[in-house]
Amino acid sequence: MQYALLLYEDETIYGSDRSGPAVKDLLAKHVALRNELGPQRLFSSGLKPTEMTTTVKIAEGNRTVHDGPFAEAREQLAGLYVVDVPDLDAAIAVAKKFPLLKNGSIEIRPLLGAA
Amino acid sequence: MMREALTIAVRTAQPRIVAALAVRFRDLDLAEEAFADACLRAAEVWERDGSPSDSAAWLYRVAERFALQILRARRIRGGLLPDAPDPEPTVEAAMCDDASLIPDDRLRLIFVCCHPAVAAESRAALTLRLICGLSTGEIARAFLVPEPTLAQRLVRAKRKIAEAGIRFEVPEPAAWPERLEAVLSTLEVAYARAHEDAAGTGSHAGFASEMLGLTALLCELLPRDPEVAAFAALVRYAEARRPARVDGEGIMIPLSEQNPALWDRSLIGEADAYLEHAFSIGSAGARGVQAALHGAWCSRLTHDDPPPWPEILKLYDRLLMFRDDPFVRLNRAVAVAEVYGAAMALADIEVLDAARLEGFAPYHAVRADCLRRLSRTKEAIAAYDTALALGSSQAEKLWLQRRRDELR
Repeated sequence: MQYALLLYEDETIYGSDRSGPAVKDLLAKHVALRNELGPQRLFSSGLKPTEMTTTVKIAEGNRTVHDGPFAEAREQLAGLYVVDVPDLDAAIAVAKKFPLLKNGSIEIRPLLGAA
Repeated sequence: MMREALTIAVRTAQPRIVAALAVRFRDLDLAEEAFADACLRAAEVWERDGSPSDSAAWLYRVAERFALQILRARRIRGGLLPDAPDPEPTVEAAMCDDASLIPDDRLRLIFVCCHPAVAAESRAALTLRLICGLSTGEIARAFLVPEPTLAQRLVRAKRKIAEAGIRFEVPEPAAWPERLEAVLSTLEVAYARAHEDAAGTGSHAGFASEMLGLTALLCELLPRDPEVAAFAALVRYAEARRPARVDGEGIMIPLSEQNPALWDRSLIGEADAYLEHAFSIGSAGARGVQAALHGAWCSRLTHDDPPPWPEILKLYDRLLMFRDDPFVRLNRAVAVAEVYGAAMALADIEVLDAARLEGFAPYHAVRADCLRRLSRTKEAIAAYDTALALGSSQAEKLWLQRRRDELR
């Protein structure tokens, strides 16, 4: 089955400098996880901070462009993996391996129509 | 007569057959639907030809065939070509039927029902439905929710299992601690609910034996896990006392007033062995102490033996080291009342977090009992009324009502 693993973090933990040694170390760990997953990983990427986010809102046929994410929340989407693994337990095992800077949550969503 | 044979066969065979089909086809709905179809067919055929020598095996064979038919129909709808249909079982085949050949996949199914990805409130209900074979109505009554609500909950849980890709396997050892905790806490909830509900009626004998079987099965699979052994002991102690839990009029008899002569001694013996084993292989944690509490109660042999209140109190003190919450403290207060008197017990109760206990009938019942002993009659009656209004089982209500009426 194919699953999207969506990583949510409080982005303020990164501070203003995203190129420090802690972040470099984190990226290296993600590369290691990528290598470990091999062909099970269909896609993965981190996301730039919500400051860089633009939202298109569609309501009653109107399409308007806004600055920032669609909803303010304590934790923001920070990155995602799409994996192809046998079952939910395998997806949970991958999520538990996620390297994190501090705290965060990983939402596991089965892809529609991906049996 | 035939109806009765069918009812009994369905009750006893259902969990095992549904589990075997669910695991084989990895589809809970298909398993339940096929089993229901098999029961309908049984009502027809057994009426006409008499019941088969092994009714469980018959139901399994027919349910399996229905499951394959349903799958075939789905494939035709999906535009694929159908396979040739299976031949009807011959008389000879029915003679050779043997229920011991039905694969026992209940343990796998327990892990499916108790997967942490299933909503906690649905796990116990799903386990009672699929593993213990209780009807939706029975479970709804046990959980004090309307039947449609419970049915909805089951549908959602089954959809989650199917769509999220939960695996129909016992998890690998690395995942045991987390997964086993989910299983044990689910079984605890399921057992507590059914145990409560069974007080007045005794119609859950089948469920109780399922629970004994399930815990034995878990112990067999995990012989070195003290918590599993402790839970197996607890269920046996509690089941052993079932015959003494209500009087002839259906009124609850509190544990301390039950007649030990009515308790099932052989079941208590089994429980003692499980508990001893639990403590010999390691710390059984809160579950170990809880089982020891039940064991202490069951140490009484005759109606004249006094309840071992000092030991009970000591065990509650130990339980607090593992689990300190208002519910444990409330139970402890019952023992405090016996050992040190109602005034001290009431003082202990008054400092508990009332907000968490407000909706819990036993909180008001225990308070009422302390107030009654202190001759604060008016307050006691008010507390009994609150306990009665919150509602618990019928047997317990009758008991509370009698206590309250004695005060007038």
